[in-house]
Amino acid sequence: MPHATRPSTNESAFVLSALRENLRLDSRAIDQYRPISLKFSSDPDVYGQTDVRMGKTRVICNVSCEVITPYSDRKFDGVFNINCELSPLIGAGVEIGRPDQAELLLSRLLEKSIRRSNALDTESLCIIAGQKCFHVRADLHVLDHDGSILDACCLALVAALQHFRRPDYEVHGEQVTVFDVREREPVKLTLQHQPFCVTTSYYDAGTIMVQDATLLEEQCREGEIVVSMNRHGEVCQIAKYGGVPVDALSVLSVVKQSWEKVKMMDSVVREALSKDERERDKGGRMKAELSAENERVMERPVG
Amino acid sequence: MAAAMVLLPGENIPTERLPKPKKGKLTLGPGLQHTPPSTISATTAGSLQVDHRKAALWLEDAGGRYQPSVGDLVIAQIHHSSVETYSCALTPHTSFAILGQLAFEGVSKKTRPQLKAADIVYARVSKASKWEDVEIECFNSATGKAEGMGQLKGGMVFDVRPAFARRLMMGTDKEGVSKGGVVLLEEVGGKVKFEVAVGRNGKVWVDSGSVRETVMIGQLLRGADEGGWDVEGQRKAVKKALRDV
Repeated sequence: MPHATRPSTNESAFVLSALRENLRLDSRAIDQYRPISLKFSSDPDVYGQTDVRMGKTRVICNVSCEVITPYSDRKFDGVFNINCELSPLIGAGVEIGRPDQAELLLSRLLEKSIRRSNALDTESLCIIAGQKCFHVRADLHVLDHDGSILDACCLALVAALQHFRRPDYEVHGEQVTVFDVREREPVKLTLQHQPFCVTTSYYDAGTIMVQDATLLEEQCREGEIVVSMNRHGEVCQIAKYGGVPVDALSVLSVVKQSWEKVKMMDSVVREALSKDERERDKGGRMKAELSAENERVMERPVG
Repeated sequence: MAAAMVLLPGENIPTERLPKPKKGKLTLGPGLQHTPPSTISATTAGSLQVDHRKAALWLEDAGGRYQPSVGDLVIAQIHHSSVETYSCALTPHTSFAILGQLAFEGVSKKTRPQLKAADIVYARVSKASKWEDVEIECFNSATGKAEGMGQLKGGMVFDVRPAFARRLMMGTDKEGVSKGGVVLLEEVGGKVKFEVAVGRNGKVWVDSGSVRETVMIGQLLRGADEGGWDVEGQRKAVKKALRDV
């Protein structure tokens, strides 16, 4: 009985004619993203929980970790998993446990962008080779779907990974002591780079390229190109699964446009992270406590 | 007037709020239930509205769910057609409403409109009950006239909350003041020519000469719905939007 809603003929025709006149329904520019709101958990003991909103799209991400035995064929690496499931919260026609194509593509693109590109250095998660390592797990939940869920998921995930702190530990020979959060300050994860995904929807055989499409615009599009890259311009992956054929030069210009968007997303994440750090560190006491500098007494040089 | 009273399901209405009926009869509108002898309780969440002249009480529900009731004008989207009927969706993710293929003005089996999937029509709910499929029709079966109903061609459909759609459809009282507190469409209509159809199921169809004007009207509707603008706020927003177009 639950059926996915398709836009009416009037709506799809209108969206297309508006795009041909360079107009979008919410008066954005053709390549403009909706305002991105990134929030972390307000609990001072909780790290690695993010809540991202892009317009009406809302995604939350939770990063957690535990100590396990590493895989036997990867003794020196820890384990990092990304779990992203869509639920009927975002619309009927989506069932948990029965992933449709959109959900499979979402998981696959997140894997390619973040895991395969080694954004998180799994070697840094190793405690004792072959015996103990950290298993970092990221759970993504899409709460509202108004288009661009992949972009929002990737941003939430990268911000959560940068925010998360794993417990500190000490190794004495074969003995490992993992300290509780209250005993020792937890430690940030080692991220080698921060990749972001930019989805470009196209219409009219690639002549109109739109970034950050709303759900209605996504339902009327002819295809999409997903580019994952970091702020240095290093491309992690480019994906175009089906859709109307587009010529190669358009794909190249899409990659260039995406770079600008990635830089924008990266600055949003950095600003939110530094603001959160300032709030958690009220008065600057932690910085003073953690600093290893001695107080030096300045004396006049002799001679 | 006392401040608006918000009730939760199960709460009783205090007796001082009840209007004094002249003929001794009190009319209960949607959202209220009478338990004899003298308790009136709320069945949904909403704000209590009282009309002393008609001795009527009801709850205004600001929820997002539309429940079909007979006589409502709605914008329905055709999903598929069967032998003698079209199956239409009034709201997403609910069972389909049935529209007879001959339920249009002046049609016979040979001259009926050929509607395809994803077309939209302006229709009236003719039958709505909890245990049967909802039925809609595109003409007034009493008079046989279309009265503005039928297929909607072109234009654009905007989604609003059903409570906002109800306010849009309330019309004006004797002094010309809008009863629902929404003057948007009238203000815009002073400067821009457009056609509009409001569906009680939370859809507003707008067709203006140009794409830009339709987009502007859609944005004003969304702003008034989500931003909760009052009459003054709406006038200001319309003036600003008309300047930009």
